[in-house]
Amino acid sequence: MPVMTYDGWDRRRFTTALLGPEAVPEPTPVHHRVARGVVVDATSYMLCLATPQGEERFLYDRNTVFWRGGEIRPTELRPGDDAVVRCSHEGRLLAEQVWAQTARVTGVIVEREGESLLIDPGHGRPRLTVVLPYRASGRISVRHPRLEPGYLFDAVGVRRGGEVWASRPVTTQPPHPLDATPRRPPVHEYSTTVEGIATWYDPAWGRSAHLDPRAQTPGAAYPALDRAGHEGRCDRRTPCLPVPLLSTGATLGIRNDRTRETAVVPVIDCAAADSWFCDLCPTCGPGAAGRIASLTMISFVALGGRLEAGCFNATMTVATREE
Amino acid sequence: MSPEILEALREVQLPLLAVLLFLGAAAKVMPGSESTGLAVLVSQGWRRPVTLATCVLEAVAAVALLTVTGPLGDVARILTALLFLVSVVVLSVVRRRDPEAGCGCFGGLSREPIGWRTLTRASLLAVAAAATVGLAPIGWAVVSAPTPTHGVVLGAELLLLAWLSPELREMLTRASSTEPCALREVSPRRTLRRLRRSDVWRANAGVMLGGEPEDTWRHGCWRFLRYDGMRHGRHVDVVYAVRLDGPRRTGVRSVLVDRESGTVVATSGAVATLDFQGTS
Repeated sequence: MPVMTYDGWDRRRFTTALLGPEAVPEPTPVHHRVARGVVVDATSYMLCLATPQGEERFLYDRNTVFWRGGEIRPTELRPGDDAVVRCSHEGRLLAEQVWAQTARVTGVIVEREGESLLIDPGHGRPRLTVVLPYRASGRISVRHPRLEPGYLFDAVGVRRGGEVWASRPVTTQPPHPLDATPRRPPVHEYSTTVEGIATWYDPAWGRSAHLDPRAQTPGAAYPALDRAGHEGRCDRRTPCLPVPLLSTGATLGIRNDRTRETAVVPVIDCAAADSWFCDLCPTCGPGAAGRIASLTMISFVALGGRLEAGCFNATMTVATREE
Repeated sequence: MSPEILEALREVQLPLLAVLLFLGAAAKVMPGSESTGLAVLVSQGWRRPVTLATCVLEAVAAVALLTVTGPLGDVARILTALLFLVSVVVLSVVRRRDPEAGCGCFGGLSREPIGWRTLTRASLLAVAAAATVGLAPIGWAVVSAPTPTHGVVLGAELLLLAWLSPELREMLTRASSTEPCALREVSPRRTLRRLRRSDVWRANAGVMLGGEPEDTWRHGCWRFLRYDGMRHGRHVDVVYAVRLDGPRRTGVRSVLVDRESGTVVATSGAVATLDFQGTS
C-alpha cells in the first residue's frame, strides 16, 4: 500500500470520531484509467508496461498522443522509460495519452552554470540540476526572464540520468526574488471552497515506477501544512490563497474546473515550493491565482490534467466545519 | 526655551537613540528584512551580510551611547549622528533606484515605500545624535535618575516620532486584524495550555499513561492530540480535539478509542458523535 496511509488513516479515524464523518471524507481510489510503470516494449501498435500488477498491454488508436519532451512516435519509446498512461473512456486497454520520462522542477534557483541551473525544491528534498537545451531555452526565458539565484523556476521536462532537461515552462516567473515576496494581506472571510490552480509533483523521482509504492500513491502535497504535526522540515511560506491549515492525513475535495472531474485526495506531504508561487495557469485561460495543492502524478492525470501543461484550474473543498 | 529644558532634551536623546537602535538591530535579525533599505543597492548574495552588518553597527552604537562618556563617548555620538546622516543619503538613493522598496529601518515592519516621513525621521535622529555631543552623563545615568522634565520632553518626542513612523501603523493593522482561526498559525504550546486547563483533561487524568502526546495534527480550527491510555486493563488511545479559538470551556473534546478493536469506548466534551452533524 502507498506510503503514509496508515498514519493518515489513523488520523482520519480519530478526526471522524471527534468531528463527525463529514470533516474528513474518505479518499476516492485512483481512477482505473490511469497506469504508471516502466516500458518493457513499445511497437507501432502496442505498448507493454511493467506495473505493480504485472505486465500490462495498451493498444493505440489514431488519436493517441505520446510525449517525451515533445510529441514523439510510439516506436521512440525506449524500454526502461518511466511512463504514465491515461486510458480512453472506453476501457483500460486503449491508451489515450502516454507520457514518458516526464519530470518537473519547481523551486528556487540556487546556482547557475552556463546552461544548467541548480534548483532547491524546498522541504529538504534533494536539489536538482536542470539543463536548458538550446531548443527550449527561448521558450523558457520568455516566461522566466531572470535565471538568477534567488528567483523562482518551474518547468516540465524529461529525465535524463540524474538531470532534468527542461522542455517547457509551466508558470510565469514572479518579477521579484523569493525573499521579496509580498505578504498575504490579512484575510477576514474564510470559505471552505477555494479556487486556484492544482499542480503536480513526482513523489518517486522517476525511479522504478513499477516497484516503488510512492510512484503509485494517490494524494497531494499541501501548501498550508501545519508545522507542528509534520515530521521533517516544511519550509513553506504563507500561501497567497486563504487555504486552511491542515496536517497529513486530512483529505481535500479537488475538482478540475475544465473537465469537471472530481476526486477526494489525502494530504501526504508538504508542498513548500508551491506555497512560494502565486501564479495563474498559463495554459488554462482565466482563473484564480495561487496554488491550492500539488497532486501526485497519478492523481493529477486521474483528474484530467496534462502533465506537460503542469497545472489546471481547480476548486478545492475542505470540510473543516467552521460554521 | 529655558536651559533646563534644553539640557533635559539633550540628555533624553541618549537612552531614546539607544532604544531605537536596539529595536532596529533586533528587527533586522528577524527574517523578512531582505530587499529593503541598503540591501536593495547590493547584489542578491550580499543582502543578508549587509543587513547583518548594519544590525551589528547599530547594536554597537546603542551600547556605546548607554555606557561610554568623555572623549570616547563623543566619538561614539558623532559616529551615531553620521550613521543616521548616511542613512538619509542611502534612503534617498534607494528611493530613486526602487520607489517601491521599504526602508528596512525596523526590518520586515518597514515595508512601506520610503516617503518623506521616513527621511525626516532619519534626519531628525541625526540631529538628535549630534546634540548629545559634549554631554557629561552617560545614557544609563539619565535612565537611572529621571526628572519630570525628562518625562515630558520624552513624551513629546515620542509623539513626534510615532507620527513619523509608518511601522506603527503596520503594527496596528497586523494586531487589529484577526484572521479566521482556520488560517491562523497557532503554536502547539498554546494548544497544550488550553487543553491542560480544561475539564475534559482532568476528567481523563485517570486513564492517561504518558504526559506527552504521541501524535498531533491540525484540521482547520481544531488541533488534535493523541495520548496513550489504559482503561479497565485495555490499551486505549485518548484523543483530544482542541478548538483554537472561541470560548475556552467548550473548546475541548475527547474520545477514548480501544486500540485493538478501534471502537469508541467513551466521549467527553461537547461531543462528537454522528448527531454532531447538524449542530456546531
